[in-house]
Amino acid sequence: MVTPMKTPVFLRNAALLIAFLLPAMTAGQPSGSGQLAAPQSTGLVLGESTVCEEVRNGIPEQAAVAFSVDLKRVYCYTDFKKVPEKSFAYHNWYLRDNLKASIKLTVRPPRWSTYSSIQLRDSDKGPWRVEITDEEGIILKTLRFSVID
Amino acid sequence: MTSLTHFFANIRWQDVLDIVLNSYVFFRFYILFRGTNVLRVLFGLACIWFAQRLAVSLGLIVSSWISQEITAAAALIVVVIFRNEIRGVLQTKNIRGILWELPKRSTTTPIEVIAESAFKLARKHIGALIVVPGREDLEEIVQHGLKWQGTVSSEMIVSIFWPDNPVHDGAAVVRGDRIWEVGCILPLSVRKDIPSNYGTRHRAALGLAETSDALVIVVSEESGAVALAKDSRITRIQDPETLEKHLKEHAGQRLGSRSDLMNEKIELGLAIFLSAAFTLGIWFSITRGFDTLASFEVPVEYRNRDPAQQIVNTSANTVKLQLSGSRSLLDAINPNQLRVRVDLGKAATGSNSYTITREDITLPPGVILKDVQPPMVDVDLDITAQKELPIQADFVGKLPDDRILAQVRLEPSTVTVIGASGFLDKLSTIYTEKIPVAGLEGSGTIEVGLVINPAKLNLAAGNRVTVYYTVLKKTSQK
Repeated sequence: MVTPMKTPVFLRNAALLIAFLLPAMTAGQPSGSGQLAAPQSTGLVLGESTVCEEVRNGIPEQAAVAFSVDLKRVYCYTDFKKVPEKSFAYHNWYLRDNLKASIKLTVRPPRWSTYSSIQLRDSDKGPWRVEITDEEGIILKTLRFSVID
Repeated sequence: MTSLTHFFANIRWQDVLDIVLNSYVFFRFYILFRGTNVLRVLFGLACIWFAQRLAVSLGLIVSSWISQEITAAAALIVVVIFRNEIRGVLQTKNIRGILWELPKRSTTTPIEVIAESAFKLARKHIGALIVVPGREDLEEIVQHGLKWQGTVSSEMIVSIFWPDNPVHDGAAVVRGDRIWEVGCILPLSVRKDIPSNYGTRHRAALGLAETSDALVIVVSEESGAVALAKDSRITRIQDPETLEKHLKEHAGQRLGSRSDLMNEKIELGLAIFLSAAFTLGIWFSITRGFDTLASFEVPVEYRNRDPAQQIVNTSANTVKLQLSGSRSLLDAINPNQLRVRVDLGKAATGSNSYTITREDITLPPGVILKDVQPPMVDVDLDITAQKELPIQADFVGKLPDDRILAQVRLEPSTVTVIGASGFLDKLSTIYTEKIPVAGLEGSGTIEVGLVINPAKLNLAAGNRVTVYYTVLKKTSQK
């Protein structure tokens, strides 16, 4: 003779809790299997950012929107006010719409300043932009400048 | 036999109309100018033209060149030399007479009265000169006398030439049933073979007959003889009946016999036949010599595109048409006469392939399409979309070494562009026209345009933007 097992009260309560919480937990997920999940922000908060002629002692100098090609090098300085955990940021340098360089930079909590630079050649004259992204590719800011004679 | 069937199958209704129309023009030309020198000279020019074509086909360089030059100047020769005849036809005919009416073989000139008067004057030994004009205009040949415009009568004619009349020495010009002018002076013939018994009056009659198609009656004052000058000849007339006959022939009035009517019909029939044959000859020589091939690069027009779509790419913007026809037709083709139109009415978004058919091509008449390269074109279409894009200033030039362009703000900072969605996806920035930085000092504004490719993009609003700039002195570096 088989007697039904009596379910303990704490297990019944746990099952009810899971049943109640599961829809709430999955509500933010895409329902269709074909859809891509939107990239989630890494929580980086960008403070000051600028393109400049030089970064000296961690401070950007001669920030501008046009740089002579004679400078030979131009810098992009970024100060992340809030870094929740160690992660990466990218400086993507575009001449017109052509990606010229993508520089990966490590950022560490709780706050981090960093910069990247590119070498300028005569053929690099024209309108540039630097897209500052987190490691998920979310654009945090776009800086625009020109390289002139 | 096959080629003959092919030939008749290829004749269009336009060709038939073309031949009939031009044959009629030639026929009317003959009707209007028959009996004048114009027709003879035109026939001569036509012979030269045929000779020129023959000389070209035989490769006779000098002959073809000379005949070509003559035929090139033919229009000018005809207009200048025969201006009087042409004017005469245009002035004396109304539009009906020029376009379709056959000339009536009748005259209002009272021929019997003139003939009788001439012999009446002869009997009285009264000298007289009576001009009966033909088709040609005598405006510039005869020196005008006195306007008379009196109805022709025997008494009137005798009184004009009566010795005491001040105008009796000149010629009287008869038009229709009126004596139009009197006391006219005729050009004198310079011929040396005129009989010695002919005086100035005869020389004047011959002078006019030589230079025009007019008929001139001369009554000799000395001999009382009546003579008739026509076509460079002067003939003595013995009786009024003979004079009447000559006058009637001159006026175009046949004697009314059955044979004359038959001759008239044969003449007109021959004229119609020759006009048609002449036109056919020209038509054949121009349109049916399919011995020449020529290639033309023609732009392709893409039509009936859905306004919601954009042409993103085409495999060909021009096609090469190989055409066949006579050299003269192919040489005369104006590139604007050739059109290739592809109908995009049923095109879908994405890639579409079209075979270029004869229906897509417009050709001038008489030219045959042999080949199309490429025979197919691919057209990529995309839906039209809008996108808001940031604007970026495009600075050029050189700033002084101690200056920096510290700040730039654009107003507006973004612009909405309309274009193919696939193209817009790749686009992230719209740039301004190049802005020279040399000379920028302090703060200021510049208004510049935006650089867009109008074939691919349109702007929702205007394409001007205001650039606010600030140029600063560089901070000294330690």
